[in-house]
Amino acid sequence: MSILRKGRRNFEEDTELNMIPIMNIFLVIIPFLLTSVSFFHIKAISTSVPVMADSTQVSAVPEKTKMTVIVEMLKGEMRLSATAEELDMEKLAQFEQVIKLQTTGVYPLMKLNEYLQSVKRTYPASDTLILIPDEAVRYDSIIQAMDAARNFNERPLFPNVVLSGSLG
Amino acid sequence: MSFGNLKARNKKPVPPKLMITSMMDMFTIILIFLLFQFSEKPETIHMLEDIELPQSTAKMDHTETIKLVLTQKGLHINNDLIAGVRKGKVIGLDPQNPKASVLYQLLEKEYAKTVQKSDEKQPKEHILLLCDKRHSFKTINDIVKTAALAGYPNFQFGVLKE
Repeated sequence: MSILRKGRRNFEEDTELNMIPIMNIFLVIIPFLLTSVSFFHIKAISTSVPVMADSTQVSAVPEKTKMTVIVEMLKGEMRLSATAEELDMEKLAQFEQVIKLQTTGVYPLMKLNEYLQSVKRTYPASDTLILIPDEAVRYDSIIQAMDAARNFNERPLFPNVVLSGSLG
Repeated sequence: MSFGNLKARNKKPVPPKLMITSMMDMFTIILIFLLFQFSEKPETIHMLEDIELPQSTAKMDHTETIKLVLTQKGLHINNDLIAGVRKGKVIGLDPQNPKASVLYQLLEKEYAKTVQKSDEKQPKEHILLLCDKRHSFKTINDIVKTAALAGYPNFQFGVLKE
């Protein structure tokens, strides 16, 4: 009886874990991770510049009408238009818009987004946008315009953005 | 002098116990946070000081390729300075004659190497462009056009995750 009680008492005794080795490991790992961790995450936006294409690359009879939207970022306004091989000039003229800038250098990207959504609703197969910024437009504004063009609420709008300089 | 005080004086000094539990909790949280940060990034990019990247909602990770860095002061290719930038203009890069620039010559060499390695006639290589957000489109356009002329019409613009 007494042996049993003694055994139970030993079992119930609090045992202290030796945390010192674990702490030592932590103290080594944490500075190592702190030196190699990145607090800035770099992501990428794919884009291209217009190049001469082979005529064989363009299919003769497209299955669905694909609209290519052209966005010109000018000094005081933003000109929006669209082009498609299958559509006539009258239909294309419906997609022409000029949005005046309220503040210099701040482009109305919400309006651009709304315009692109309306094009996408009418021609869902469309996926290409040609962005033509003025020479003075800042790179930051170009990236913001590309963001507005690529998607809206996680839904893709015009994921293929082609960056082009203005002609003439 | 009372007996009680004498007894207290004769007691052996007890070493103070450190409360490690709370410290352990803190370290565990820091460790988990750092491990998550560590696993999220695919590779490290050496960033130069005088560059401010634009923020974007982009989620795509960049891939390992030729890296062009355009800071406020210079143009770098794979961490080597190849030209200076003054008043938003790349020194030695004439938009009328881009083939004479160092940028074109270096990219052309790189492209020739890629063609030799690849089976395709026109390998679809791209360039990762890290550019300061304050630069104007004119500066970027000169570089982009020169790169396209050397065989690299596809780009990845490096941006900071929002």
